[in-house]
Amino acid sequence: MPLIDMPEFSGDLLAEFAARRTERVNTPVIQPAEPFLDMAGEDLRRRIFLTESETGANLCLRPEFTIPVCLRHIETATGTPKRYSYLGEVFRQRREGAYEFYQAGIEDLGDKDIASADARVIGDAIGILKALLPGRKLGVTLGDQAVFEAVVSALGLPFGWQRRLIHAFGDMAHLEALLERLARPQPVTGLYPEIAGLLASGNEAELVSRIDRTMQETGYSTNASRSPAEIARRLKEKLELAETRLDGTALLLLREFLTLQLPLADAPAALAGFADAAGLKLGPAAALFDARLAALANAGADLSAMTYRAAFGRPLDYYTGLVFEVTEAGSPAVLAGGGRFDRLLTLLGAKDHIPAVGFSLWLDRIEAVRAKQ
Amino acid sequence: MSVITIALPSKGRIKEDTAAIFDRAGLAISAVGNDRSYRGRIEGMDGVEIAYLSASEIARELASGAVDFGVTGEDLVREGMAGADQRVEFCARLGFGQADVVVAVPEIWLDVETMADLGDVAADFRARHGRRLQIATKYWRLTQQFFSSQHGIQLYRIVESLGATEGAPAAGQADIIVDITSTGSTLRANHLKILSDGVILKSEACLVRARKPDHEDDPRVAQIVEAVRGVL
Repeated sequence: MPLIDMPEFSGDLLAEFAARRTERVNTPVIQPAEPFLDMAGEDLRRRIFLTESETGANLCLRPEFTIPVCLRHIETATGTPKRYSYLGEVFRQRREGAYEFYQAGIEDLGDKDIASADARVIGDAIGILKALLPGRKLGVTLGDQAVFEAVVSALGLPFGWQRRLIHAFGDMAHLEALLERLARPQPVTGLYPEIAGLLASGNEAELVSRIDRTMQETGYSTNASRSPAEIARRLKEKLELAETRLDGTALLLLREFLTLQLPLADAPAALAGFADAAGLKLGPAAALFDARLAALANAGADLSAMTYRAAFGRPLDYYTGLVFEVTEAGSPAVLAGGGRFDRLLTLLGAKDHIPAVGFSLWLDRIEAVRAKQ
Repeated sequence: MSVITIALPSKGRIKEDTAAIFDRAGLAISAVGNDRSYRGRIEGMDGVEIAYLSASEIARELASGAVDFGVTGEDLVREGMAGADQRVEFCARLGFGQADVVVAVPEIWLDVETMADLGDVAADFRARHGRRLQIATKYWRLTQQFFSSQHGIQLYRIVESLGATEGAPAAGQADIIVDITSTGSTLRANHLKILSDGVILKSEACLVRARKPDHEDDPRVAQIVEAVRGVL
């Protein structure tokens, strides 16, 4: 690439990507904005550079690579497994740093051996950073949403409550608010007596037709997004969930789990100990966690130098399992961040389920670390 | 001494109510030139100019620091700039132009009374309907802050609405709305209800000052603020 303002270590980086048997792809700088806003939510709108085409389509400057790389994969329909790499500029409004900066990374699509694919991308990220930052000590932190899901499920909470907690995973304030509600359930109030009666007698058919009638009368039916059956079903579920109380012991367990932070090498024993003491079975999630660690150790990673933090997650609904971050040891600046996003390709329109894991490198921060010798 | 510019609403009830308060505060405004002029001055106060602007332009001019004071709705100021409290000072709440910015959903959503309920619905909206929950509003910023920072709700889409927002759910343009209401009657007429914890902002007309360093030792600035506060 002839750009003269590329990071000076771009050549080394591309050589690393090639040695790691990835296919380098490029994506247009100008992207349709909808997929980003749809996947990451409206919050992203303030942070990206939006514009409009002459025909009114929402466009933006590429704010990251994962979504464009995945969209490109779906469009080109070249099958899996695939290991893509990218290196290019992204555009984002940040509190600190320039609005345009370089990112590079790897997206590993379609490998059904989850544990080894997870271990491979962590190894890729660390390996590349070690090559770019020789002699620097790195800090690696791992989290795993699947383990949290297993804990929540083992506590025997109703499915609706599990969904709420899993959805909030990674957002500690939101999670705390939910735990507070579980500790002190509030009964549902304000229902019309007639509706409350229908719910109490379990007459769901009549409830649905009541809702339907009101929708017809108020002219709302024509364009209603939520159907009478959906509203009735959730109303019923809401009443059930409102009665759910998590006893003090279970709440303490959940809180204790969320505070776990320890060397990764000790994490399997700690999780097993936690599960035993709590009388919980973590099942396949724990097995996958251990398998990932075994794969990492096999690849020569030093597990005692990495950290497992149980509450580490990303509150977006396409992340499914592993999340990880690499920093320079003792510094908060994230040099590489990644994770598993098994739901993303389906959400973007892929017909088949495609497991996916990847990471991106913050090249401006890496450059800054290289500069301070 | 530099000129102090006060931006006041150029039409409607809010213009009259503002003029009445300034009058009572001893800051009688006279038009420059003819009655329909968009410039004015305060009798007996030198170096103070009045600029008549639309309410939303006043918020914008305060954000850019092009005017020193403005009278406009708190909703427009907070929607118009990030970090409003660092950039402007709300000197006085004037007691008129009251309106709440609220989250309203179809009345028939019997299962949705709180923001937490809405969070549940938004979380699996895509799985059920193949798209995110859509919110019609002209308040992008206030909606984002309220939904994500205060209630942890990320997954929704904003559909820009420049008028008749209350009609959007029935017309199928959006599922719910964030809009301004004073009595709630338009919402009720459109079969919408306000969530019990869905009041984003209780807004009213305010005297707002753009925070500028040279205001600190300018006696006219303190004089204007105190005069208005004194009659409320």
